[in-house]
Amino acid sequence: MGIITVLWEKWTEFKREFYKITLAAMISPMMYLIIFGMGIQTTSHGEPYLSYLIPGIVAMSTMTGSFSAVAQNMSVQRLYEKALDQVMISPTPLWQFIIGQIIGGSLRGMYAAGVILLLTMPIRTGLIYNGWSFLILFLNGTVFSTIALVLSFLAKSYSDAPKYNAYIIVPMSFLCNTFFSTDQMPSGFRQVVSALPLSQASAMVRAIAHGEDPGTIGWFVLLAYLVVFGTISFLFIYKKKNL
Amino acid sequence: MIEIKNLTKKFGDFTAVDHLNLTIETGEFFGLLGPNGAGKTTTISMLSTVLLPTEGEIRIDGELLGRRASAQKRKLAVVTQEYSMRQDMTMDEVMEYQGRLYYLPRNVIREKTDELLAFAGLTEYRKRVVRRLSGGMKRKLMVCRALMIEPEILLLDEPTAGMDALARRQMWNLLRQLNGKNLTIILTTHYMEEAESLCGRVALIEKGKLDMIDTPSAMIGNLGAFAVDEMTEKGLTSHFFKNRQDAITYLSQAGDQASFRNTTLEDVFVERVGRHLTKK
Repeated sequence: MGIITVLWEKWTEFKREFYKITLAAMISPMMYLIIFGMGIQTTSHGEPYLSYLIPGIVAMSTMTGSFSAVAQNMSVQRLYEKALDQVMISPTPLWQFIIGQIIGGSLRGMYAAGVILLLTMPIRTGLIYNGWSFLILFLNGTVFSTIALVLSFLAKSYSDAPKYNAYIIVPMSFLCNTFFSTDQMPSGFRQVVSALPLSQASAMVRAIAHGEDPGTIGWFVLLAYLVVFGTISFLFIYKKKNL
Repeated sequence: MIEIKNLTKKFGDFTAVDHLNLTIETGEFFGLLGPNGAGKTTTISMLSTVLLPTEGEIRIDGELLGRRASAQKRKLAVVTQEYSMRQDMTMDEVMEYQGRLYYLPRNVIREKTDELLAFAGLTEYRKRVVRRLSGGMKRKLMVCRALMIEPEILLLDEPTAGMDALARRQMWNLLRQLNGKNLTIILTTHYMEEAESLCGRVALIEKGKLDMIDTPSAMIGNLGAFAVDEMTEKGLTSHFFKNRQDAITYLSQAGDQASFRNTTLEDVFVERVGRHLTKK
């Protein structure tokens, strides 16, 4: 029930901010597609670069969409509006609030990915998206929603949210299998970057898009991130003395 | 009944609330008074579980209050000092969100919203987002939101701050009515006349510690129910007398620069806090 309440709250926000959310979901990914995919026409791994790029951009969109939906919303609610107080004092179990935030954030990420899929539909790439692709995208969204939750509980001021974006999301966008394979990175750095959630999600979505087996390791890596950051966010909301 | 036992809150080296002990009976209108930084809001924040105590506990009807205590939290509603609402929601949405958080059925949410917004004179603004409301409207909306869930305990942290005199009087009348229905109310305020007018008992806290607790009339009586204000070289000085005749005698000797009046809770506050400041 509490989960539905949070999703309702997210839905009202989505309806109100529909155009802003949609534009924000479109602009950066479309820039990347136009500049790197169409402007600088090249091939990668023996195929048009666009075919390589699109699955990465789709996975990246779930990350940015989910992260910004939760990080911004929660930081504002906790530090600026103090609207989190309303939730804290209510009888709604706080674990339901957290789950609602994670699902709601992930759905926003899915929406951002859906926008990119729709926009790239006219481009004949032959890429395949199936239920597994969407499950990976959803899981990727939940991972970044939980990371956003943890960071927003750690934030000391409203201005911390954009900093997290600059320190975490932007580097991941460029490094984690979106524009080029992590295989091309120097050893040591490669292993670290490959273990990041977006690297795994991009690789899995790309594998499915090319009719290949996504493997199982990526699932475990994403689930591990979800469990770890989910547990931290539960601990924070129940145990953090100065929320 | 609310029992606060040894409640302590520390922020690093700073102790905001220091072993506070209070018992507030069901149906009581209780005031928490103190200078800025005394620990009033911190106490309210612990009562609303936003902050967790460093030491001590809060019990509601014998049950420990905590973030997992849904049954106890169901009894509580808070009007915080700040406008703790989603600023981009409309009034209707703020009320619906509150109703949903407390598991109220949709039809009850609608009925209560209509009733409370009409009562507060906010109906015509119900589609307006919170960001675009005046301070007084936001305060009223916060009270409507708190009342929507028919709480047993209402925590009010400076509920009339920023309200004009008329709106404040309306709020007082509303709070009296609610208290008349056996609602327990805990009020923090900087307006001493508000506490004197509304509260059955008040606690004066300073530096997080309980300084004194009594009824407003007993506090005034202890200081002296009659006051003579005298303009001296040091400025305005108040003298307090337990006996009216003593006050009048003093007044007659003081000359033109003195006036007689009844002592107020504000005098008690100023004397008490002022004395502590002088001790420093």
